[in-house]
This record gives sequence, C-alpha cells and structure tokens, in this order.
Amino acid sequence: MKALILVGGFGTRLRPLTLSFPKPLVDFANKPMILHQIEALKAIGVTEVVLAINYQPEVMLNFLKEFETKVGIKITCSQETEPLGTAGPLALARDKLIDESGEPFFVLNSDVISEYPLKEMIEFHKSHGGEASIMVTKVDEPSKYGVVVLEESTGKVEKFVEKPKLFVGNKINAGIYLLNPAVLDRIQLRPTSIEKEVFPKIASENKLFAMVLPGFWMDIGQPKDYITGLRLYLDSLRKKSSSKLAKGTHIVGNVLVDETAKIGEGCLIGPDVAIGPGCVVESGVRLSRCTVMRGVRIKKHACISSSIIGWHSTVGQWARVENMTILGEDVHVSDEIYSNGGVVLPHKEIKSSILKPEIVM
Amino acid sequence: MGSSDEKVVAVIMVGGPTKGTRFRPLSLNIPKPLFPLAGQPMVHHPISACKKIPNLGQIFLIGFYEERELALYVSSISNELKVPVRYLREDRPHGSAGGLYNFRDLIMEDSPSHIFLLNCDVCCSFPLPEMLEAHKKYGGMGTILVIKVSAESANQFGELVADPVTNELLHYTEKPETFVSDRINCGVYIFTPDIFNAIEGVSSQRKDRADLRRLSSFEALHSATRSASTHFVRLDQDILSPLAGKKQLYTYETIDFWEQIKTPGMSLKCSGLYLSQFRVTSPHLLVSGDGTKSASISGDVYIHPSAKVHPSAKIGPNVSISANARIGAGVRLISCIILDNVEIKENAVVIHAIVGWKSSIGKWSRIQASGNYNSKLGITILGEDVTVEDEVVVINSIVLPHKTLNVSVQEEIIL
Repeated sequence: MKALILVGGFGTRLRPLTLSFPKPLVDFANKPMILHQIEALKAIGVTEVVLAINYQPEVMLNFLKEFETKVGIKITCSQETEPLGTAGPLALARDKLIDESGEPFFVLNSDVISEYPLKEMIEFHKSHGGEASIMVTKVDEPSKYGVVVLEESTGKVEKFVEKPKLFVGNKINAGIYLLNPAVLDRIQLRPTSIEKEVFPKIASENKLFAMVLPGFWMDIGQPKDYITGLRLYLDSLRKKSSSKLAKGTHIVGNVLVDETAKIGEGCLIGPDVAIGPGCVVESGVRLSRCTVMRGVRIKKHACISSSIIGWHSTVGQWARVENMTILGEDVHVSDEIYSNGGVVLPHKEIKSSILKPEIVM
Repeated sequence: MGSSDEKVVAVIMVGGPTKGTRFRPLSLNIPKPLFPLAGQPMVHHPISACKKIPNLGQIFLIGFYEERELALYVSSISNELKVPVRYLREDRPHGSAGGLYNFRDLIMEDSPSHIFLLNCDVCCSFPLPEMLEAHKKYGGMGTILVIKVSAESANQFGELVADPVTNELLHYTEKPETFVSDRINCGVYIFTPDIFNAIEGVSSQRKDRADLRRLSSFEALHSATRSASTHFVRLDQDILSPLAGKKQLYTYETIDFWEQIKTPGMSLKCSGLYLSQFRVTSPHLLVSGDGTKSASISGDVYIHPSAKVHPSAKIGPNVSISANARIGAGVRLISCIILDNVEIKENAVVIHAIVGWKSSIGKWSRIQASGNYNSKLGITILGEDVTVEDEVVVINSIVLPHKTLNVSVQEEIIL
C-alpha cells in the first residue's frame, strides 16, 4: 500500500521554528511532525510514502534516509515547481502512487495530528465499496471551516459547504483520505482543489463516503494550536500507552520526557509538557503546558508555561517564559528575564524583559 | 568660635498623617517617617547623621502625628544614641518655619548657639559637621544645603542662586515656571537663634497688613481654622526669598547624593542610596554570603537578624529584608524592600518591588516592575497582608492591603 503526505510550503505559520527546519521536521511530542504520520502508515502496512512538497527537498533528504531505515519504509519526494493546490499534487505523483496492485492509497495532510485510525478506515472503505473515503471530525464552530454534509447512517457524502453561515452540520474535512486509483483519473495536472472540485464530483456520483474520526484532531500549523495539540496528543497517549508518560512526585498530569533528558531536584513538571532528547532541566524549575525541544537547557528556578522552547536554546536562572512565547533555535534568555508572549527568531540573546507580546527579530 | 561649651540642637520636621498621601498605600499602615529604608526607619537616617554633630544637646522631632504613633521609636532611639530625642506634636500644620517658631521656648531651653533644621523626607548623606564649619566661617544667620541637579528637574524644587565666591544666597524662588538655576534647596539648614526674630518679623508684618497676603488654595482652606496668635509660616517663600541677597543666608553645596522621598517608588531608590552609604559608614549592617552556608549575596543588602533566608536563595543588589521575613529555597530578590513578617515561597522572583507587611508570595510567582522610580507604576507595591498565589505574575502594579491575587496582573491598581 502507498500513501501521499501533502507537505506543501515552508510552513510560515509555524515561524520562527520553521526558519531552522522545514515544517515536517519540526518536533512535536519529541518526534518530527511527519514521523507521527509515517509511523502510523507503516503500522497498517504502507510500504511507500510520497511527500508532496513545493520547495527543494535537499535539506530533508538526509533525515528522510534516516527515517527510511529507522521505520523500514520507502520515502520519496514529489516536488511541485508551481503551487498545485490540494489536488494537483496527486496528479503530479500519479506514477508513484499507481502500481499493478490496484489498491487504494492514503492521502494525509501533514499539518494534522490525530490518532490515525487508518486500519478502521481501510475497513470502512471496503465496506461501502465507493471510490473514496474521507475522515471527518466534529468541531464546535463549523462556520470557520468547510462542512461535509453526510447521511448519518451510511456516511455517504451529500455535499460540501464552505464556511456556512447557517448551520448545515458540524463535521469538517479532517484531511485524511483513502482513495481508489480511479480518483487520479479525475484530477488534471493543474492547480486545483480536492475539496471544491474533485470530491463534490465524486459525491454527486454517490461514490464518496465519510467516516467520523474517533478521538482527537488538531491542525497544528500554528504555535497556539501546536500547544493545544500537544495536550490532546498526551491525553490520548495516557489512554493508549500510559507507560510512555513520565511518573514521579515532581510530575503533574501528562508529561513526556526523553530518556536522555536530565531533570534536577525540586522541579515541578506538567501538565502537558514534552521535554526532548539531551535537555537539561536544572533544580527548582517549573514547567507547564510547554514543549522543550532537543538540546535545551533550563537553568535553576526558571518558570515556563504555555510556550515553545526551540532547539538548543537556554532559559536563564529565575527567568519566566509564558503566554505563547516561542523561542526559535539557539535563543538565549538571560537570567531573571521575563518573556510574556515574545516570539523570538533564531540565534538571539534576550537581555531585557518582554512585558507584552512582541516579535524579536 | 569653636568654643567647647557651645550647644547645638537639631530639629527634624516629620509631617503628619494628612500629608504624604502620595506615599500610599504604604502610609496606610505606618507613619511615613517610620517606613524602613535600608532596614532603618526613614527618620533614623537624619537622626544618626545628627549624632555626628559636635556638642549636640538634643534632637526634636516636630510633626502632627499622634504621640503614640512615634512614642515607641522615640524612646528606643534616645536610648540607642544616648542623646535626648523628643517628639513635639503640633495641633495642626504651621509650615516648617511656623512649626519651629511654635516650639521656640523648648528649642531654646538650653540656649543653643546653633539650630539644625532637617526635613525627614529627604534622602542625603547629611554632611552636618561640614555645614556647621562652613556656617561659622560665613558668619550669617543661616546656611542652606544645596545640590546641583539637571536643568530639566530643577523646577520641582526651590531653585536658588549663590555667589560663587562668598556662597551668599543671592536669589531664591520656589518651583519656578521658567529656569532660574540648577542649584536647589536640599531642605537641610543650620540657623543661629536669630531665625526666630526673622520668623516673628514675618508674623507681625502679616498681622499689620490689611489685605494679609495672596493665599494659595491650600492655605486659604486652612486659614479659617488657624488661630490669630499662631501663624502658618513657610520657610522657603516667607523667610528664604525675602532674606536672599541681604548677607544673612549662605549656601553649602554637597556633591553627594540627594533625593526627595515623596513616593513609594522613590523610597526604594533611597533605600538603595542609604545601603550604598552603609558600605562606607556602617559596613557591619550589610550582609555577605556565597551561597554555601548562607544565601548568595550580590551588592548591598540588609537582612534583619530575625529574618530567615534559605541558603539557595540569591539576594541583591539593593535589597532590604525586615524582621521575621521568611525567604524560601531558590528565591531571587533584586532591588526590593521586604517588610516585616513577609513570606516568600520557593523559586519566587521579586524585582523592583516593595512587599508589604505579612504578605505571602507563592511558589514560582513573580513580582516585577520596570524600575522607573519616578513613574506611578514603575515599582510594584504590595500593601499589607497581600497574598499572591503560586505561579502568579504581578507586573507594574499597586495592590492595596488585604487582597489575594490568583490571576496575573499587569499595569493595574488593585483596590
């Protein structure tokens, strides 16, 4: 079985993190974002993954090689030379996706994090016998999204309504598809939208079916949602494999700590914290609702909440970092500094407090 | 000149509860003269400076606080200094010259040759023996301590012009609209007993005048309640201005520090100035430590002997910690005054703040301000018995007594 992951551009919404690494390589819960998807695909028997990207893949190739051997899966890139929308990349990767088996293939949006119930999706796809399956998820405010109107009993999709003003349903496209190769015959190699052009056509022929995604779903394309996404992810991890979560009197709620990270005396960590490989958290530190990426040092008595600390950064003694502070790679916050919502580009030193949310170039 | 039997007395004007409202919320709990700077009551600093005057006979505090508010301090400081300190209570404000005149019989009791007059709310090194020497040399009725300030800030004070050779006061004007001089009145004076004649002169002149005088609104308000026999006489406008240029008043310029302590923010700055003065005058009052057996100390820090500070805390510069305060493990204190019975819990940070009596600061909480002493919210002030819960951040704010903060605040006054 094969799969296509729609990676797209540089991920400007996730800057300053994506100034250092392309978005698929930005860590989420101690793992590059795209690895969550690749591992889920591998687990249900996918043997080859195609990444649809619209920039030169050179920066990623070494990492992809590493993933190939680590996960045991073939990874190739399909590069757009012009933006092709959400459907065009499928046409571009047509030759890579079609083989003699005639099996359906997965299409995943790389910004989305969920429990990836792909096995259930295959069963659903087989059961309805249509041409395409899409995963939908329930949201509180459907008017912000494209709503999928479906027949509740069978899952047959009736129509798509973009940002409805009147309530037509609360299920939206979750960005996870399972498509028969025949769908590729419907897509031309030009900029085109899968939601607006391809799916409505299949739906009109009664060959499109939607499955409601069990568990959580989050588009983690921007920092605020990234932090929320980590909470949902760790909640789900607690239910599925809680042994991966940290335990101890210094831990509150769900906390993920890499085995190579060191944590000092008198700390209080959690809830909803991820601490990456090689991190050093010195004594008396307080961490909550935050991501601490690979190689970071948090010095004594510092306090961090609702923030992302980028790779190899340091946070000084008695510093306080909070309220959606995003530190890019290799940022150094001096001792006793307060950052309230500072968004700091890579390789900066912060020597005076940031009292109101602002961007530090 | 310089005969050993001549006596000197000092008078310190301490004001009263209806004055110093700008010192709220701290003055809601304590008479402003007793608010601790560098761990000592504000009035203690001029008092200990007086102790250095040769032949000092007595110290008088004049103000309109109730006796009981100052009684305990006055008796303990008398014992400590072995100099009689007496509190003379005015029934109402008489102005600094009026207050002095009101108690002239008591002040002149031992026939002193010189009278020092100091305001309690100025912070300076009080070079009193040097002033006395200069005053004797000038041979006038009075000598004023002056300091050079920036031209922009001079108009908040009494500006004066002195003869560069003789140091005679040539011109004096209080808070002028336009620039007159960058030399200002420090509110520290020395007079011969002739000053009482000068004050009496102003009083009787006024009595004679039909149209009395142009009253400021404040004065007009108070004139109704003022009896005819006692007079409100200001030292600056009523005495210094008219006597300037008459070879009676002289100036002595200090090059040390000088500040006026009108607001809580300034009290933090002045606490720091007094701490750095202790480095020279009373180094035994400053603590040291490297974090092994006692807390690690940076810069000038005063810690009351009854306060408990965890060895893993880091304190300073410019920190004073009052009696029975408890400072927990991993706490960081920079530029702050911690008052009696305050508890600061583990890993909390306090920067540019005054933490009121019996307040409690939670774990990993943060009390901070910009450190701009002159702006209204430039120093974070917590009144008495304020509780800041764990991990809460309080920035550039003033919190009135008996409040609990469970959410973070910034740029707010919490009533």
